[in-house]
Amino acid sequence: MTNAAELTARPSRASTVVGVRPALALALRNSRWFWLVWVLLLWAVIPTTAAAYRTTIPDDAAGALEAAALAGNATMRAILGPPYDLLHVGSFTMFRVGSFVATLAAIMAVLGVIRATRAEEETGRAELLRAGVSGRHTQLLAATILGLSCCGALALLIAASMAPTSPAAGALCMGLGIGLTGAVFVGFGAVAAQLTASARTARSLALGAVGVAYLLRAVADGSPNASALHGLQWVSPVEWAALARPYVGERWWVLLLPVVLTLALLAAAFGLESRRDYGAGIRPARPGPAVAAPGLSGAGGLAWRLQRGNVTTWGIGVAIYSLAVGSLVDFFETAAQNPALAERFRRMGGGSSDPRKAFYVAMLGIAVVGVAVFAVQLLDRLHREEDSGRSSAMLATATSRLHYAASYLIPALVMPTALLALAGALTALPSSLAGGKIAQVAQIAGAAIALAPGLWVIVGVAMVLHGWAPRLLIIPWIVVGWSMVANWVGPVIGLPEALLKFTPFAALPHLPAEQMSFTAVLVETAIAVGLVAVGLTGYRRRNLG
Amino acid sequence: MSVAIRTRGLRKSFGSSVALDGLDLDIGTGEVHGLLGPNGSGKSTTIRVLLGLLHADEGQVALLGGDPWSQAPELHRRLAYVPGDVSLWPNLTGGEVIDLLGRARGAVDGHRREELIARFDLDPTKKCRSYSKGNRQKVALICALASDVELLLLDEPTSGLDPLMERVFTEVIRDGRANGRTVLLASHILSEVETLCDHVSIIKAGRCVEAGTLTELRHLTRTRLIVEVDGPPPALHNLPGIHDLTIDGERLSCQIDSAALPAVLRSLSEVHVRSLVSAPPTLEELFLRHYQRS
Repeated sequence: MTNAAELTARPSRASTVVGVRPALALALRNSRWFWLVWVLLLWAVIPTTAAAYRTTIPDDAAGALEAAALAGNATMRAILGPPYDLLHVGSFTMFRVGSFVATLAAIMAVLGVIRATRAEEETGRAELLRAGVSGRHTQLLAATILGLSCCGALALLIAASMAPTSPAAGALCMGLGIGLTGAVFVGFGAVAAQLTASARTARSLALGAVGVAYLLRAVADGSPNASALHGLQWVSPVEWAALARPYVGERWWVLLLPVVLTLALLAAAFGLESRRDYGAGIRPARPGPAVAAPGLSGAGGLAWRLQRGNVTTWGIGVAIYSLAVGSLVDFFETAAQNPALAERFRRMGGGSSDPRKAFYVAMLGIAVVGVAVFAVQLLDRLHREEDSGRSSAMLATATSRLHYAASYLIPALVMPTALLALAGALTALPSSLAGGKIAQVAQIAGAAIALAPGLWVIVGVAMVLHGWAPRLLIIPWIVVGWSMVANWVGPVIGLPEALLKFTPFAALPHLPAEQMSFTAVLVETAIAVGLVAVGLTGYRRRNLG
Repeated sequence: MSVAIRTRGLRKSFGSSVALDGLDLDIGTGEVHGLLGPNGSGKSTTIRVLLGLLHADEGQVALLGGDPWSQAPELHRRLAYVPGDVSLWPNLTGGEVIDLLGRARGAVDGHRREELIARFDLDPTKKCRSYSKGNRQKVALICALASDVELLLLDEPTSGLDPLMERVFTEVIRDGRANGRTVLLASHILSEVETLCDHVSIIKAGRCVEAGTLTELRHLTRTRLIVEVDGPPPALHNLPGIHDLTIDGERLSCQIDSAALPAVLRSLSEVHVRSLVSAPPTLEELFLRHYQRS
């Protein structure tokens, strides 16, 4: 009798990637906007920064002073990267946004590869393809080719647009450095996609790798050159683009590091894919608790369980951000000696000529919009639950609609407010500790809370839409988006004052630069209360999907 | 007999599409009541109105002696609901969902919970994202069946279950009926309704077109008869209540109204019958009769 093994023909290696051309076309079709938007946005940052070079670092003694202050500031280095020659436009651009764009390219690569591989597999769409004339590695190969091509396109765009800044070799080095950083993370994404059955977990793993790389870079660049920690910069893939030193005597050999790592990671990804079953990960899914913890009870317990990860992430993010910018206040004061910058700061800082006050106003204006994103996100969950059909499971129990809506609404009002106060306190903390003025922490936290009614108005608008017209739930995001433009870049790019006033935060008192105005705070609070009440009434009365 | 659910003249439309068009429904306490209808006939809309998730445009609803729109939370303590397409929270385990929904309704009967998990063969430690459709359905069923409620609203509850699990479901529902629990089972699976339900309402385009006990409904339909005789077959075509009569040599087949049965048997007794097959009316025939008429 013949056994089964003798009946099967010997497989050829090429059969595992058969059908890669149609798979590539499909992957491109599914994510063309994703890649197009990411690549164009990331590219645009580079020439825009280079064009604004002279307004930031003027061609005189003050400019040289400012460049020296920037290079000497540990926080600036930790956030941005190693400064090599800030008096050259190309090298300055690399310092100001190069490592930042490289890190974002890493995020783009990770998300792009996972969405074309593990996410397709998890939803079951890939099963149809696999059952056709398609090999085990076809989809991974297509996703890899697509990801690497888009990183290549980003590299070429950067190199071409920076080529006019001499020497052109610097432009090429910068483009390649950033593109290759993306390529490394195409590799990380491909490996992560093999490890777990869930696309979400794969994303967290790979984004975690980006986070660790960024953190290593920040620690290394923030430490003095003599410190042992400084050597860590060689370990971080998002630092290699800067270490290749575009425009400052290019060290081309550094670019071999990402090439080698990319190849190694891709080899590992394909190897792992051969060792796993379709739909499964290398790491098996861990079982969870068979019985719910006592806290997981009722709509409130469920809402907390669904949102706690998000709340923790935002809390940590806002804390790190606030401490980092808070440590910049002295540097800010020095930089304000440049009249052009002083004027920019004055406009961002609510018109205060005291640079410290202007700094806090500007930083709170940035923080409050970030926190508004968090607030709208928290309340939007109410609609996502309804959309996915899960809210009817809860509402078919002894949970009233009011109670159900409140379990998302109350956190959306309370947590962002607390986070805003935390942002104010931590922004003030570093300089208060250094100057021994602890009272300032409470003062800036209070200044932050004075902006909270603006958050409540946005949440109120969102609640009205939840209650009456959930189809229009994009509106709160438009309000937040406009506030972002107005508070983050509006004063710098010179938008008219009248337009900048058109946010829920503009009418509120901008402490400590302005006087406290209880009228504005109370009026906006009353508007928010009214909106919430109208919204809840609607939510109790409408048909639920 | 007291009434668990009564609706009168329910109307509900979504934009230009009419989902309920004057629905009357009567379900007595302790009944296992089948709500039959094909997809799009208004079964799910009816259940969502009964749950107070949708507000009827017109008509009256009484459920367990209350109004589901204005008294939903109080009434929901006394009922449990299983949707046909269960979506669960991907990051919670099945066990967590069972406890969460049970606690939100009232207390969870731990002993009954364990028993049902064992009977339905569910692994409660798996995250909901990894459950198949059938397993998600089991989670919702265990959750509903483990609670000590007066009324179960089940919307195609066995979709995705394998035949073994369907049988477990049937057993559990029968146990519940013995305890006096009222069940509304919306379904398009006729055999399931036939095995479980004592009462049936057939709905079509948002109206109830036929309602009653299964026995009553059977009475309304015809018995199929196939007879083989030696010699010439009897002259049945003269009798009232005979339909689709075909005679093929010595073989005769027809459909008979229930009222005509005695007369047919009398005339058959006068000839020499070699074999006789009589099939009782099935729910399927009943159902098709209403749906083929249009």
